[in-house]
Amino acid sequence: MQYALLIFEDENAFRDTHGRAWEDILAAHGAFAGELAAKGILKGGAGLKTSDTATTARKTGGQYALHDGPYAEAREQLGGFYIVEAASLDEALALAKRVPLAGDGSVEVRPLIDED
Amino acid sequence: MAPLDQTFRETGGRIVAALAAAFRDLDIAEEAFADACAKAAEVWPTAPPLDPAAWLYAAARRRALDMIRRRSVRHRLAPDAPEPEPSIEAQLASDARLIPDERLRLIFVCCHPAVAPEARAALTLRLVCGLSAQEIARAFLVSEPAMLQRLTRAKRKIAEAGVSFEVPGPEAWPERLAAVLTTLEVAYARAHEDAAGAGPHAGFAQEMLGLTTVLVELLPREQDALAFAALVRYAEARRPARLDPEGTMVPLDRQDPAKWRDDLIAEGEALLRRAGSLGPPGPIPLRAALHSAWCARRTLDEPPPWPAILSLYDALLSFGDDPFVRVNRVVALAEVCGPAAALAELEALDAARLAGFQPLHAVRADLLARLGRREEALEAYDQALALGPAEAERRWLIRRRMETALEG
Repeated sequence: MQYALLIFEDENAFRDTHGRAWEDILAAHGAFAGELAAKGILKGGAGLKTSDTATTARKTGGQYALHDGPYAEAREQLGGFYIVEAASLDEALALAKRVPLAGDGSVEVRPLIDED
Repeated sequence: MAPLDQTFRETGGRIVAALAAAFRDLDIAEEAFADACAKAAEVWPTAPPLDPAAWLYAAARRRALDMIRRRSVRHRLAPDAPEPEPSIEAQLASDARLIPDERLRLIFVCCHPAVAPEARAALTLRLVCGLSAQEIARAFLVSEPAMLQRLTRAKRKIAEAGVSFEVPGPEAWPERLAAVLTTLEVAYARAHEDAAGAGPHAGFAQEMLGLTTVLVELLPREQDALAFAALVRYAEARRPARLDPEGTMVPLDRQDPAKWRDDLIAEGEALLRRAGSLGPPGPIPLRAALHSAWCARRTLDEPPPWPAILSLYDALLSFGDDPFVRVNRVVALAEVCGPAAALAELEALDAARLAGFQPLHAVRADLLARLGRREEALEAYDQALALGPAEAERRWLIRRRMETALEG
């Protein structure tokens, strides 16, 4: 089964893209993604720019309205995701616990809808 | 007893557990087992099986395979669903060691951290112990529709999220053990309620001795597992003294210790000592210590150690408010501080939430009777009886009600 590992973090840690913290987390993600790719379990993924670059199209009563910013205001924002192949939720959760995080944060694990 | 009832009671949980483990689908396991039972009710009266458990398992397994085949046609899945290991059926009939392991495995699936905490015990009780949603709802003081919704959501999460059916490695034990033990405690409480040991959940009391033995072997240094295994032994040790010859419940303080099983009490003591050596006691060791205090009585004349019992209840409450503990504490309080003080404590509890909690009414009735408030006592006995207690307890309450009515 394929799972999405959705990374939620306080994005203030990543604002300075020239700083040491940025370098470190980039390297950590590179190593993690490289390892998963070598094992053939990495199916996709991406990092996202910070949530102040987000625009939300929200449908209410059949009408779309555009808003600046993410849908929900929260301290932790979706910052990126991996798509991995895992035999069970437990395997996916084990990977989730290894996703690099700069500080406090969370990784939500969701199965992908089967395409077959 | 009809062979189907007996097989259902003695092996139902283990068959559902084996099916769930083989097919990795809780709904299919339950539905296939229900279908097999319906089939048995039809066929057995004219053609009784040689081995009822193996018959039920084989029928349920065929039905499950059928359901999976039909489902995969519907979804036009290319590969056939994998065949489960064929050995389980043979093992089921011959290998007694399979029983606790299969059940334990299913209990660990139900207690996965991905399952909502309030659904874990309920799901286990449904799948492993075969309790109805109504019985579980009563045990957790929630409505039946709410409980059904919890169960449905939990099963769906397990299926959709791909929770694995393996017993987790030791590194995953700590995050699941608490849920597993809570579940076993609630399940055992149901089996224990049935003093006569003749009701539909009685088999589970016996199997709990086996399950906890396995658990303690797997986790020899987990205090709570050891303490729970001790608790079950103390409680089962008293079973022979829990009914009088007419089948009426005998309350703890009137039980004759000569009838208690010394072998089980000794096992309990040894387990509790091991638990005690592993650190300061939490709620489960404290509950086991309560049982130990009761079992320390050697003769019928010896009074129960009420002050010690009361302070153990106080220690338990320091871990969190629990209405069940409070009601039991009131019983000890009545002996130490008198019925008036005890009644005041009882009246301070959340009456609306506990309206359906039968022991509350029984305890209240007793206190009112002791205070000479006869009319109110009779009313409280009626309330307790209206909540449908087990037969042995019903007889006890009726006797007490009659004695109260005749007094004064």
